[in-house]
Amino acid sequence: MRKLVLLSLFFLVITSIFLSACGDENEIKYQRYYADGSQVYKVHCANCHMDDGKGLAALIPPLTDTTYLRKNRNKLACFIVYGLNDTIVVNNQEYQGQMPAEKHLAAVDLAKVLTYVTNSFGNKQGIYDITEVEANLRKCRN
Amino acid sequence: MKNLSLLTVVLVVAILNGCNSGDKKLPILGSREPIEKNIDGKIVIDTIYQTIPSFSFINQDSVIINQDSLKNSIYVADFFFTSCPSICPIMSKNMLNIYEKYKGNPEVRFLSHSIDPKHDTIPKLKKYATKLGVKNTQWSFLFGDRDSIYHMAKDGYMSYAKENANIPGGYEHSGYFILVDKDKRIRGAYDGTDKKQVEQLSKDMDILLAEYKTIK
Repeated sequence: MRKLVLLSLFFLVITSIFLSACGDENEIKYQRYYADGSQVYKVHCANCHMDDGKGLAALIPPLTDTTYLRKNRNKLACFIVYGLNDTIVVNNQEYQGQMPAEKHLAAVDLAKVLTYVTNSFGNKQGIYDITEVEANLRKCRN
Repeated sequence: MKNLSLLTVVLVVAILNGCNSGDKKLPILGSREPIEKNIDGKIVIDTIYQTIPSFSFINQDSVIINQDSLKNSIYVADFFFTSCPSICPIMSKNMLNIYEKYKGNPEVRFLSHSIDPKHDTIPKLKKYATKLGVKNTQWSFLFGDRDSIYHMAKDGYMSYAKENANIPGGYEHSGYFILVDKDKRIRGAYDGTDKKQVEQLSKDMDILLAEYKTIK
């Protein structure tokens, strides 16, 4: 009897692990992107946009304007790779400074850091996948 | 036994208090030189401390800033350039916090030396200051010829600044905030990119200001 109970318990645990793994595959991928993205952010972005994403006064824009990030979602990868020279309006404030290009970042790192940025500092926009990055980069190369 | 532990507590408290009660003073940094002075026929040994050499730079409002304009104020000095992509924004943010704390206090000044006079013209420095939210000359962004700025960094503030084509931005410089007292002596150096050290600077500035209050 005891054996039977143990055995059924064992199967229950195993099946629940498999089931949860299937359901959470995307969630795990998101978590991984987010965690790695925070590291990329620290190295490549935090010096200017700061650890808390608040930027610097009227010199460096914050990353807290969710509407801006959503509206320009398909341009974000290009902003990072090729930098920015235009005047942009973020949180109703005009910014004119130059954003330096980060040409050396791989597409997967862009995906990770964009996942981090669009889900931190008060943003919650879900995973920014590598396929999305690659598609958007093709557009701005032309 | 109980008395003994009570005694220990009292002793420890007394010792701790003893440490705090003395007026805390900041060290005087840099090289020093003993000299012999003849005062009323007696030979007295005095110490000459390293001081900031005299300088004359122009700030964002085209005002000349020199030792005279800093009379009666302690100040914090650092080196930066406006197009700097690496440590400068963090330094500016940390300096801004300290500036906000002492805003309007005539005894406290801030000097940010641009190490890129080629690009950081006075209008550019003015724009930078305005966008940072700095409206008066309490915080001066200084323009000067390259060699004098580099000389001030190296020989004045024991810091460094130089051109380096291999790093982003083209210039390298230390990220230190140097605290200078009213007698032009260096009283502290703090990593301007490190929040904890910048907090320490803020505390030390209070200590330094208190030093001058007790003299009066």
